[in-house]
Amino acid sequence: MQKTGTTAKILRNHNLMSELVASLRVDHVTKRYGDFTAVDDLSFEVRPGRVFGFLGPNGAGKTTTIRMIVGITAPDEGSVELFGRHISSDLQDKIGYLPEERGLYKKLKIVDQLRYFAALKDVPTAEADKRIDFWLDRMKLSEWKNKKTTDLSKGMQQKIQFISTVLHDPDLLILDEPFSGLDPVNVEFMIDVLAEFKTREKTIIFSTHLMETAERLCNDILLINKSKKVVAGSLRQVKESFGKNLIALRVAGGDGVLNDRSLVASIVDHADEKEVQLTEGADPQQLLKKLVESGASISKFEEIEPSLNDIFIDAVEETE
Amino acid sequence: MRKFLAVVKHEYKKIVLRWTFLIGTFLFPVLGIGFGIVPAFIFSLKGEVTRIAIVDPSGEVLPRLRENLSDEAVTAKVREAAKQSMKDISATQEERMKKGASQIASGFSIVDYDAAGKSTQEIRADLIEKVKAGSLDAYLIVPANISANDAVFEFRSRKGGDFVANDTLKDALNQAVRSKRLTDAKISESQVRALSQDIEFDSKGLDEQGQEKNSDMLMAASFVIGLMIYITLVVYGQVIMGAVVEEKDTRIAEILFSSAKPFDLMMGKLVGVGLAGLTQLGIWVVSLGAIVAYLSAMSGSAEIFKSLPSITPLMMVYFLLFFLLGYFLFASIYALVGAVVTNVQEGGQFALPATLLLVIGYLFSFAVLRDPNSSLSFWVSITPFFAPVTMPVRILAETPPFWQIALSASLTALGIVILVWLAARVYRIGMLMYGKRATVPEIWKWIRTS
Repeated sequence: MQKTGTTAKILRNHNLMSELVASLRVDHVTKRYGDFTAVDDLSFEVRPGRVFGFLGPNGAGKTTTIRMIVGITAPDEGSVELFGRHISSDLQDKIGYLPEERGLYKKLKIVDQLRYFAALKDVPTAEADKRIDFWLDRMKLSEWKNKKTTDLSKGMQQKIQFISTVLHDPDLLILDEPFSGLDPVNVEFMIDVLAEFKTREKTIIFSTHLMETAERLCNDILLINKSKKVVAGSLRQVKESFGKNLIALRVAGGDGVLNDRSLVASIVDHADEKEVQLTEGADPQQLLKKLVESGASISKFEEIEPSLNDIFIDAVEETE
Repeated sequence: MRKFLAVVKHEYKKIVLRWTFLIGTFLFPVLGIGFGIVPAFIFSLKGEVTRIAIVDPSGEVLPRLRENLSDEAVTAKVREAAKQSMKDISATQEERMKKGASQIASGFSIVDYDAAGKSTQEIRADLIEKVKAGSLDAYLIVPANISANDAVFEFRSRKGGDFVANDTLKDALNQAVRSKRLTDAKISESQVRALSQDIEFDSKGLDEQGQEKNSDMLMAASFVIGLMIYITLVVYGQVIMGAVVEEKDTRIAEILFSSAKPFDLMMGKLVGVGLAGLTQLGIWVVSLGAIVAYLSAMSGSAEIFKSLPSITPLMMVYFLLFFLLGYFLFASIYALVGAVVTNVQEGGQFALPATLLLVIGYLFSFAVLRDPNSSLSFWVSITPFFAPVTMPVRILAETPPFWQIALSASLTALGIVILVWLAARVYRIGMLMYGKRATVPEIWKWIRTS
């Protein structure tokens, strides 16, 4: 219960921070399919130049939400605003969407598929051809330009699909599991490409099950489960709110401070360090200060942060 | 609109710029001709000469038979049969095969056999022995009294299934015996031939202006037009379904729907594939015209043109109209089915009712051909699902009043509006539903809610 209160506070802060610059605003959106509510009163905002991690277990309502953002379906209640306008078919040209389960035409030449996808986003043919050459070259796939999909490996197809998502230079990029099927070298490469989009102040929504990747790439996260928002905020804030006030400590002396029950709740001894659980509301900095004052020799003092993976599991379990 | 055109262009190029289109375009007429020619060709392969022993106690049949089976007589018969079959285009396949057979009657070589002093039993046993030994292929035992009512001609052959040889022999034998009987009755053969000559049946239809028109060629042309429309509708319906299923199966639909309106995507697909179908039909029509023109130039006369039914430009417009109506009617059904199923095989089953409607319409076109003005012809040619095939056939056979054509076109157009509306609703939802084939109640729900 306490945790939920913290989350709400963070959300308020978050909204204050982003009010002026949000490029995508999802406002009290609800989507129902018959008796089933796929998305329940969901609100969030995404700011340009940041990677927004959209997380949640399977069936949480991620795909439904994304479909409403890209204009494939309309919300039953609430609204989606992109760059201050209600989502409409001409705004679709500003969005690049890479769905999780995606494909290419099996028997069509790569260049023809890319031309078609570009045409559907209203990119003039000459311009599209230039960009296709640029991206194929950048992805080191130029020699596959006139090959068919079936001639390409899965990783290559993945990169072609990514190209089709960015050919029209979208302002909002929605990537659902963009790294699945890629080898580590290509994952690094794609992360570089994303970083570039980020510096160009593009808005990036990134959906994944891989918490390590999310932790590494995302500035803000939104975790939903069972159609509802569970956790939201900047990665930093979320981690702090989920912090358990645990300190990893390697110290000689300072026993008096460690036995102070107003500060330290319990201590677990490991081989060469201690795991210190602070009392509720205690400040780690105060502990550090007292230890230094007591003349103890400190070789390690680290606040143990929960990993995004832990947060994900905790949050999901809490709502089960 | 630009996106709609992009879809049209994409779908059109996807079909036309592929070698299967080229092959299909050329293969179909070749196959059509092949079905006409191949059976005749196979039967024209001359069978081996049948060695036959003929036992004729009367001595009256053998000489005549020998004459009838001579090379000259057989060739003359073949020539006569060929002339007959040229007249008769609408003969059924079976008849054609038989006719083809008589055109290339295979030869017989008559082996001398001395039956003097042997009983019929002995002769039979002896001949069977020879057939078994392989020195003989067949034998014929002529009864002693050929004029008797119960006279039986016993023919046994190693090659009992060679109906070409059997027919040839039977004809020759019939002729020989008949001529013997006629001689006995003191009637000369030439007299009989003169008396039993077939009448000249000059059959021609009349159009509204009272002008004669050649009904044989008309039948053929109606048949070809009906078949072309029918096949194009079936083939391109399947193409539509395959394309829809691919986009659903590969989840390309998700990307497409995030780029353009589902209705534009579906209509673009129907129009693009339809244009590809028109291209193919156009190639066929133009090349058919070119062949006819070439043939008439070769034969140096306008004979062939005269025998062709007069197809006016207005008729061509009607054919095009009904082809397009039929195409959109059935293509929207196939698109709907494609959006509902998960793979092409499943689609084939689901689309079976639509395919059956097409087949029934095609079969009705024969009834329309026989009697274009019957009430059955009227009703089937204004019923939306049958009209695309039956109305063009009816127009060619006996152009109905304009109001009937207009009624038929309007009803079909109404059908298209309803079906496209239904298909668009199902398409919007079905394309994003993965995993399993939708049930009919589910589809109904999509139609109601979307």
